[in-house]
Amino acid sequence: MKTGARNSAAGGGRRSDASGARRERLASGAHPLLNVALPAWRSKLMLFLLFVGFVALGGRAFFLMGGVTTEFLQRQGEARYARTLEIPATRGRITDRNGVVLASSVPARAVWAIPEDVTATPAQIAELARLLDMSAGELKRRLDNEDRSFVYLRRQVDMQVADRISALKIAGIHSSREFKRHYPEGPTSAHIVGFTNVEDRGQEGIELAHERQLAGRSGSRRVIKDRLGRVVEDDWLREPVDGQDLALSIDSRVQYIAYSALKNAIDKHQAKAGAAIVLDVRTGEVLALVNSPTFDPNARGRLSGDAIRNRVLTDTFEPGSTMKPFAIAAALEQGKVRPDSRIQTAPGRLTIGDRTIGDAHPHGVLTVEEVVAKSSNVGTAKIALELPAQTLWESYTALGFGQAPRMGFPGAVAGRLRPAKTWRPIEQATISYGHGVSVSLVQLARAYSALARDGELVPLSLMKVEEPPAAVRVLSAPTAIAMRKMLEMAVGDGGTAPAARIAGYRVAGKTGTAQKLRNGQYVKEYVASFAGFAPVSDPRLVIAVMIDEPGGGAYYGGQVAAPVFAQIAGASLRTLQVAPDGPLEAPKQLLALRQSR
Amino acid sequence: MIRRGAVLLAALLLFASALGLVTAQHRTRSLFIDLERAQQETKQLDVDFERLKIELARLSQPAAVERAAQRLGFRAAGASQTVYLNLPEASAAAPVEPGARK
Repeated sequence: MKTGARNSAAGGGRRSDASGARRERLASGAHPLLNVALPAWRSKLMLFLLFVGFVALGGRAFFLMGGVTTEFLQRQGEARYARTLEIPATRGRITDRNGVVLASSVPARAVWAIPEDVTATPAQIAELARLLDMSAGELKRRLDNEDRSFVYLRRQVDMQVADRISALKIAGIHSSREFKRHYPEGPTSAHIVGFTNVEDRGQEGIELAHERQLAGRSGSRRVIKDRLGRVVEDDWLREPVDGQDLALSIDSRVQYIAYSALKNAIDKHQAKAGAAIVLDVRTGEVLALVNSPTFDPNARGRLSGDAIRNRVLTDTFEPGSTMKPFAIAAALEQGKVRPDSRIQTAPGRLTIGDRTIGDAHPHGVLTVEEVVAKSSNVGTAKIALELPAQTLWESYTALGFGQAPRMGFPGAVAGRLRPAKTWRPIEQATISYGHGVSVSLVQLARAYSALARDGELVPLSLMKVEEPPAAVRVLSAPTAIAMRKMLEMAVGDGGTAPAARIAGYRVAGKTGTAQKLRNGQYVKEYVASFAGFAPVSDPRLVIAVMIDEPGGGAYYGGQVAAPVFAQIAGASLRTLQVAPDGPLEAPKQLLALRQSR
Repeated sequence: MIRRGAVLLAALLLFASALGLVTAQHRTRSLFIDLERAQQETKQLDVDFERLKIELARLSQPAAVERAAQRLGFRAAGASQTVYLNLPEASAAAPVEPGARK
C-alpha cells in the first residue's frame, strides 16, 4: 500500500493529499496503468508547451492591437456601431408666378420583396394586393418568380399605405425611401412643367431643362448608433443641398382659361390637336402655354408621344395669313407703301411665272389697310414683290423667324425660312402670305409682340422676370402703330375675324387658314390660326392660337381659332384686372354675327 | 504617511473624474438623441406642410373651382355685369372710351 502511494505520488506530482488518498484507493486495486511510473520530462514538456501557447497568444494580441492590421480591424469594429447614411436632397418645387405649387416632391416608399423569403397567409396576400392596388393573382405571380432574388412590387407608394403594408409584418416584404413628385394642376400645365421618372429625374419640360437647379445634391452623414438603433453621435461628411425652387412665368389662372378655351374648341370642331400661348407684352413672360391633347403627369403609366408633344414650341406649321402683317410692315418700313396706298387686287388672281395665286373672294381696289383687314393674298403678294428679297428676309429674321427661340426649353425648333438668295418671285409672293415658310406658334406670338410693343422685341421667358429685359428695336414705332390699326380693322365688321372681338376691350389680330402639306402636296386638311393682342390702346397680352385639322366643317381661322382668342383674351384681361378700353356691351350685330358664324 | 494620503486623494479624484466623464458622455448622447428626434419631427412637419400645400393646390386649382361653381349653379361674371370705377389717379391713365371701335 505504501509503495503504491509513493509511486503514484511521484508520477502525478501535484496532487493534494485528500484527492491523492482517493486516487490511491481507486488506483490501488482497479487500474494497473495508473501505477506506471512516468518520466519527469513529460510534465516539463507539457509545462513548456503551455508556456509557448501563452506567449503565442500574447504575441498575437499585441500584433492585432498595435501591429499592422489595426486599421482593418478597427474598420470592422466600427462597422458594428457606425453607419454612413445617405441623406437625399429634396427636389425643388416648381410654382407659378403667384406661388401656386405646380410640382412638388414628398417622400414615398418603394415596396419590394425577396420572393424566396416571403411567407404569408392567403389573407395577408389578399390584403397586401389590395393595398398595392393590384390583383392577388398578379401579386402571386410576381412573388412566385423564384429565380429573381429581388422584385419591386410597386414604386412611389404613399407613406400612409406603406405604413399599413409594413404593419402587416409579412416576412420578405420590405420598403425603401424615395420621393414622389406631385403635379396638383395635372393636365392643365403638363406640357410646360413636364415630368420626372420614378428616380425623380426630369424627363420633359421645365423638369428636364432645369434638372440641375431642381435636383440638388444628396449628402452623407456618418453616425454612431447605440444598441437601440438610436443615433448618438454624428459627423457630416457632406451636407445635402436641397434643389432650388423655381417660379415660372406662368399664371395658373390664365393657364386654365387658355386650357379650357382650347379644349372646348377642339371638342367642338373635332380637331386633331391645338395649342395656344399667352405672352405678357411688357416683360416677354409666357403667362400660359397650353396644348391639346394633353396628359396627366401624375399618372405616367399611360403616356403617348402624341400627347406629350409640346406643339407650341416643337411643332412648326405653315402659318398662312397670320404671316401677312410682317410683309406689310416691312413694306411700310421701307416706305414702299403707306397705309392708305391703293392696291389693285382685281380680278382676284395674280400670275407670277407659271403659277397663279388667288384670293378666296375678288376684292377690286383695296387700300393697304383693307388688304390686311380682308386678308387679300394678291394684295399682300403685290406689296411684298415691291421689296428686294433680301430686305424681306432680313425683316423676317429680325422678328425671330427661322431661328430657335432661346427660352431654355428642350426641343424648341427654328422653323423653316430659306435664305433669300434661293427665293424665286413666286416663292417671295407665297412666303409673304405664309406659305412656303414654317413657324412655331411661339415664334408667331413673339413676332406679334413686336407690333404690340411699338416695334421692340424682347426675349421670351418661361421663368418669372423681376425686371423687364432689354428690348431690341426691329420696327419703327409709327410702323407698329399703323399695323395695330390695320389689325384692329381685321377684327372689325369688314374684317375676317369679328369673332375675335370681346366686350370691354379693343382687340387686334389676324386670322390664318393654311392647307397642310403632305408628301409635298397640299391636301384638304387645314391649320386654323389666330394671333393678336389686347387691349389695343395699351397692349398687355399677345395671344396666339393654333387648331390643327378642324374636322367639323368649319376650318377658317376666323371661325375656329378667333373665338378661342376671344375667350382667352376676355377672361384673362378681367382676371389680370386690366382696365377696359372698349364698349362694355357686346354690340348687337356682333352677337348676331357670332351666332351665324 | 502624507505621501500615501496624497496618492489616495489622487486616486479618489481620478475615480470621481472618470465617473463624471461617463455621466457627461451619457448626457451628451441622450441630449443628442433628443435633438435628433426633434430634427426628425421638424423634417416630418416640413413634409406634412409640403403635402398640405400640394393638397391645397389640388383643391384650389381653377378646374376644381369651376367644377364646384357649376355644381352650385354659379356663372362667371362677364364684362357687362362688372361695374368699373375709375380711381381719380387711374382715370387719366386708363379712360373708358365708349365707342372707341371704329
